[in-house]
Amino acid sequence: MIGMLAKLLKALNSDSAPGQIALAFALAVITGLTPLLSLHNVLIVFIACILRINFGAFLLGTLFFSGLAYLIDPAAIALGESVLTNVAYQGFLTDLYQSDFWRATRFNNTLVLGSLIIALIAFIPVLLISRWLISVYRNKLMAWVEKLKIVKVLKASKFYKVYEALAE
Amino acid sequence: MKQWIRWSGLAGFIAISALFVLVWMFAAGPIIKYSIETFGSQAAKAKVEVENISLTFDPFGIEIEGLQVANAEKPMENLLQFDRAVADIELLPLLLGKGIVNEVALTGLVFSSARQTSGALENAAEENDSSSAEQKAQATPNEDTASATEQALPTADEIMSREPLLTEQRGKAFKSSFETIKADSDAALAALPDSKAIASYEDDFKRITSGRFDSIEDFQQRKKEFDALKKRIKQDQKAISQASKVLANGKKDLQSQWSGLQEAPAEDFNNLKSKYKLDGAGVANLSRLLFGDKVGEWSQEGLYWYEKARPFLVSEDGDAEAELDKSETARGEGRFVHFETDRPLPDMLIRQVQLAVQFEAGQVAVNVYDITHQQEVINRPTRIVATGLGLKDIESLELKGSLDHRVAPGKDAFDLNVTGMALNNYDVGAMGLKLDRSQLNITGQAEVIAGNLDAKTIAQFTQAKFSSKDRTQVAVEMAKALAKINSFDIQGKAKGELTSPSISIESDLDTQLSQAFNQRLKEKQKELEAQLKKGLNDKLLSYGGEYSDQLKEMDLANGSLGDKKDKLKKLSRAKLSSFKDQQKADAKRKLDEKKKAEQAKLEEEKSKARAKAKAAADKKRKRLEKEAKEKFKKLF
Repeated sequence: MIGMLAKLLKALNSDSAPGQIALAFALAVITGLTPLLSLHNVLIVFIACILRINFGAFLLGTLFFSGLAYLIDPAAIALGESVLTNVAYQGFLTDLYQSDFWRATRFNNTLVLGSLIIALIAFIPVLLISRWLISVYRNKLMAWVEKLKIVKVLKASKFYKVYEALAE
Repeated sequence: MKQWIRWSGLAGFIAISALFVLVWMFAAGPIIKYSIETFGSQAAKAKVEVENISLTFDPFGIEIEGLQVANAEKPMENLLQFDRAVADIELLPLLLGKGIVNEVALTGLVFSSARQTSGALENAAEENDSSSAEQKAQATPNEDTASATEQALPTADEIMSREPLLTEQRGKAFKSSFETIKADSDAALAALPDSKAIASYEDDFKRITSGRFDSIEDFQQRKKEFDALKKRIKQDQKAISQASKVLANGKKDLQSQWSGLQEAPAEDFNNLKSKYKLDGAGVANLSRLLFGDKVGEWSQEGLYWYEKARPFLVSEDGDAEAELDKSETARGEGRFVHFETDRPLPDMLIRQVQLAVQFEAGQVAVNVYDITHQQEVINRPTRIVATGLGLKDIESLELKGSLDHRVAPGKDAFDLNVTGMALNNYDVGAMGLKLDRSQLNITGQAEVIAGNLDAKTIAQFTQAKFSSKDRTQVAVEMAKALAKINSFDIQGKAKGELTSPSISIESDLDTQLSQAFNQRLKEKQKELEAQLKKGLNDKLLSYGGEYSDQLKEMDLANGSLGDKKDKLKKLSRAKLSSFKDQQKADAKRKLDEKKKAEQAKLEEEKSKARAKAKAAADKKRKRLEKEAKEKFKKLF
């Protein structure tokens, strides 16, 4: 956990493209908000593996959004329920249901579908916002943060040694 | 673009995926084997063992070799075993954790084969060890008794042992009263003076009251003894009165109960006679007597296999699960919304099982469709179709079954059709009767709803020919009556709880035989009645046997009490005269003696005077006779 956090800080403070970290967060929205053991998450993990994104950010983001999912789940279930029982989509959903592949994705589960819709809707905003936040951090906050007493205290801690070891 | 691709990540993903697939391939066999053995054992309540399980890839599936399901009731026997089963499994649903098996083909299926080792579950064996012996001990005689009492006409002894009898109730009450009264009367009689004591009282009385008083002191002494004697006599009189009372009351009670007891056999007899009357209804027992054993045997066997197979075909909790699924909308998990499809996916589904069962008469092909514990998902019941293939002596056999648990309560329904069954040398089992030959068609329907069975079977016999080697009157009459019957049918019904349904058999054979058997039944009725009467009288005697003797003893005792009472009464009335009275008596006696002497003298004088007068009169009469004779002589 400390290692992962150190990797993230290293990435934030390094010259890594902000887009790589932001994309990691955006993908983490999907794996974090939706039930982890779903077929679509295999695809997301696959993407996270082959794209040059910050994997630490992806894992931490997944962890963060999984916690957030506890709050969002009721809304996700309600959304999934309304979509799956909506008469207008019945034909399309019934067609999907005939396929073993689509059923393997568990799309007909109210939580899976509801949370996936929320995650997909949130994907672009999270991508853009996190990219902007990283830029702002690097340009304006990084120097100011370096001067904070608490950061100085942290730099004297074991955590910082790990961070430095990784940074080398 | 290249700077966005992380080739090492792609390699890592492929390596991890390949590793996962490899582990799954090698672990799947043992995991499935473990699952079949563990969950199968739980369902069968006996060991389920699999020799080997391997995966096949074209088509994807598993191959099970050497499966044995032990019989929970007979651990050294297999319920079933097969050599090989090939299951064609769908791969994609497996990713969803759903075991969808398109087809299972079984070969080398054998029922009730012997085992080398015990098939009892270790923990179950320990639990059952103590109870099974008791159950067996209790169950076996009960089963025997049940079959004996159900299948045969009851004897007088059986009737008397199974029915609550007034003779027995009153007899027990009488015996108890009799013993109490006997003990009371024995105690009362023991407190009475015996004949020696009474004789000694008499001797004492004589001694005290006879003889002269020598002096006033002698008188006082005797008076003292006399009073003590009278006191003792009074006490004895009181004891005798008490004993008389005890004997009289006891006798009254016993006589009252005895009359009730004497009436009891007649009352019992009338009750039993009306209940066990061998009339038209009694004739119905005949078909049960003839075919009841076989019908009972088949019913039990059918139910046995149904109960064994049911846990493997549908879930015991299927009905409950159907209800649960509706409310399975726990927050945080969501729920699955199912759409119309011709390919529904429950957690476990075996679309078709094909097997061939070998019987003595030939082979029966069995197809079982849609085995699942989630019938509400596929919206189809589990179906069974069994068809006879080239059966010996049977034209066609078809069994169709449907185990429908889509809604609670579940309903299991079966239809059986057997046509052209040639029955030869069927041993009827009663009265040495044999059905030499007959053609038989059977149709049957059975339904099990919420553990309650409702089954009806009609067996139509045609071209029937009976014979009997038994030479008893009944068998001969039966054979004669049956010789005239060419066709008949038997309707068997089973209703009630699945574990203990009540089985009834009706047949037009009864109607056909009733006339021929009316006479015989009357005789049988008389025989039964005579046996009942004898039995009831024996019971009466067993309770009242000692009563007559005891009653005589009580009468004798009561009589002897009267004698004793009279004697003691007489003695108690005796008085002891006083000394003065004795002197008065002496004087009176002397005066009486003097009077007697004077009287005697006077009488003597009177008699002398009478003799003298008589002599004078005789003399005068003789003289007159002489004179008369002489005058008469002179006249002639």
